[in-house]
Amino acid sequence: MSDLDRQIEQLKRCEPLKESEVKALCLKAIEILVEESNVQRVDAPVTLCGDIHGQFYDLKELFRVGGDCPQTNYLFLGDFVDRGFYSVETFLLLLALKVRYPDRITLIRGNHESRQITQVYGFYDECLRKYGSVNVWRYCTDIFDYLSLSALIDNRIFSVHGGLSPSITTLDQIRTIDRKQEVPHDGAMCDLLWSDPEEIEGWGLSPRGAGYLFGGNVATTFNHQNKIETICRAHQLVMEGYKWMFNNQVVTVWSAPNYCYRCGNVAAILELDENLNKKFTVFEAAPQEARGVPSKKPAPDYFL
Amino acid sequence: MAKTSGSEQAVQATNDDATISKLSCVKKGYISDDFVQFFVRRPIKRSPIINRGYYARWAVMRQLLFQFLDADLPAFNGPPLQKQILSLGAGFDTSFFQLVKEGRIPHIFVEVDFSEVTRKKAMLIAAKELLLTKLGLEPKISIVEGEIISEHYRLLPADLRDLKDLDRVFLQATLDPKQPTLIIAECVLIYLEPHVSRAVVKWAADKFETAAFVIYEQIHPNDAFGQQMLRNLESRGCPLLGLHDTPTLESKEKRFTELGWQSAAALDMDSIYNQQVDPLDRRRIEQLEIFDEFEEWNIMQEHYCVAYGVKDKNGIFPKFGFNHREHSGSSQRSIVL
Repeated sequence: MSDLDRQIEQLKRCEPLKESEVKALCLKAIEILVEESNVQRVDAPVTLCGDIHGQFYDLKELFRVGGDCPQTNYLFLGDFVDRGFYSVETFLLLLALKVRYPDRITLIRGNHESRQITQVYGFYDECLRKYGSVNVWRYCTDIFDYLSLSALIDNRIFSVHGGLSPSITTLDQIRTIDRKQEVPHDGAMCDLLWSDPEEIEGWGLSPRGAGYLFGGNVATTFNHQNKIETICRAHQLVMEGYKWMFNNQVVTVWSAPNYCYRCGNVAAILELDENLNKKFTVFEAAPQEARGVPSKKPAPDYFL
Repeated sequence: MAKTSGSEQAVQATNDDATISKLSCVKKGYISDDFVQFFVRRPIKRSPIINRGYYARWAVMRQLLFQFLDADLPAFNGPPLQKQILSLGAGFDTSFFQLVKEGRIPHIFVEVDFSEVTRKKAMLIAAKELLLTKLGLEPKISIVEGEIISEHYRLLPADLRDLKDLDRVFLQATLDPKQPTLIIAECVLIYLEPHVSRAVVKWAADKFETAAFVIYEQIHPNDAFGQQMLRNLESRGCPLLGLHDTPTLESKEKRFTELGWQSAAALDMDSIYNQQVDPLDRRRIEQLEIFDEFEEWNIMQEHYCVAYGVKDKNGIFPKFGFNHREHSGSSQRSIVL
């Protein structure tokens, strides 16, 4: 068994790698990711997954219902880290699978794959807690800069973490972005990772303070211009796991069940067959007994 | 007694949790409080959604508190009103100390909690000069009993499940049934069996002629978030025993109006944050931290509410209650009998 296979097995047991192993893994990952386009081409059949947010045992549940990688071809739409208790193990497992099976798993960047956001929402603190230093956080956030910004499935389904940008009308414009940087506070790259669809005409200000709200007519224009059927994105919690909008021009996929161990929602993955037929598989949070003996029972915060 | 001591401990532990969250808010600049730091042994940084939620609760409770303190007779023709505050399940709340610092001392401020909590609170207060000096001249402090009695402040142990205990507190605290009284219960009644919380609401209505009873607590146990909330708090050992009895805003209002209160109103915290909290201050706190949890924020706030009942014999409370500036009628309701 190669070192990498052994590391994957270890990560599947929710055991983090040594700092030196993380460093080596990240160096290998960079070689692969640097070659990817900002609009990475992906062939169907493929299974699309939304936010994971460090919910490691629920990611294992996702693989249980969706099939293992590499048997199933996966596209993850970002937000691997923050909020949950196992961002380190979650991201490293996905990254190790990427290095091991580069053509069977695609990882694109979410707004939480950012130095700034991870310092507020948990990944930074988790790295510090688990490794006693922030080196692993540095290696991982350096990798984030190499992650692709979007994917295009069989030229017909455009996939991105957040949504559209008023500075972008064509996919070629995305292709020209210099993505190897921290997520900026505004501009095209920021918007792709932060925007949300909303029942409005045209563009609106986002309450998130980054990205925009885009209406159905914006999606129609973009899809028409780029000969796209559907925009598939993540970024927003939907209690039913997925949600269609704008006459099936935009779909949100959410893959973190019982988000933050508090929301009570179900999660979904979107399975596209070779003809791009869509099938949503809805799943619930991993049962407590699947979380292993040493894992603490999550105690989410409330107002008490 | 309906509950085991294990669940009592878990309910008491919610006080420590809430106090840590309040300190997290103070440190991030959401709220000003010079005293909560003295009640936390090990500070923990909370996530922005928790900070913002505690801010919203603090802002609306403070608004109602100040409205109460400002309330007065329509035409002054007698001795000044001697405002009384009775805080049930007060935990380590620091409002009294903050009011003293701000020069707005009510005539009597009474805090009631389990004796385990009041003993700890008495001990922490006795050990801190900055807190002690706020009590006024020669406070009587008994750490063993968990009691403090000073000129304007009373800290007294009681079990809310025992109305005789509350009657004793009433006498010991020298509360005056004729003076205007604000009763506060934040995340307190919800842990009690419905017949017990109802008895407390009725007890307060029977005791005071002129009063407002303000609660902050959970609603909506039946949707996915609510069911998960019930499960999570049950597994912490502090089940929300009262939530099914008062699952909606309307039922929170009815509990007041059915048990001796003249009028009542309730709003969920989502509406309160958007309609009741000062928009300028809201803008200020929204700049404090990156905030990327909007869907969860809305869901969470929809599962908490503020409700109040009012008895206003002398007409001193015309301005007490939620603002009516922006309400569209959909979420704001008021029952007046």
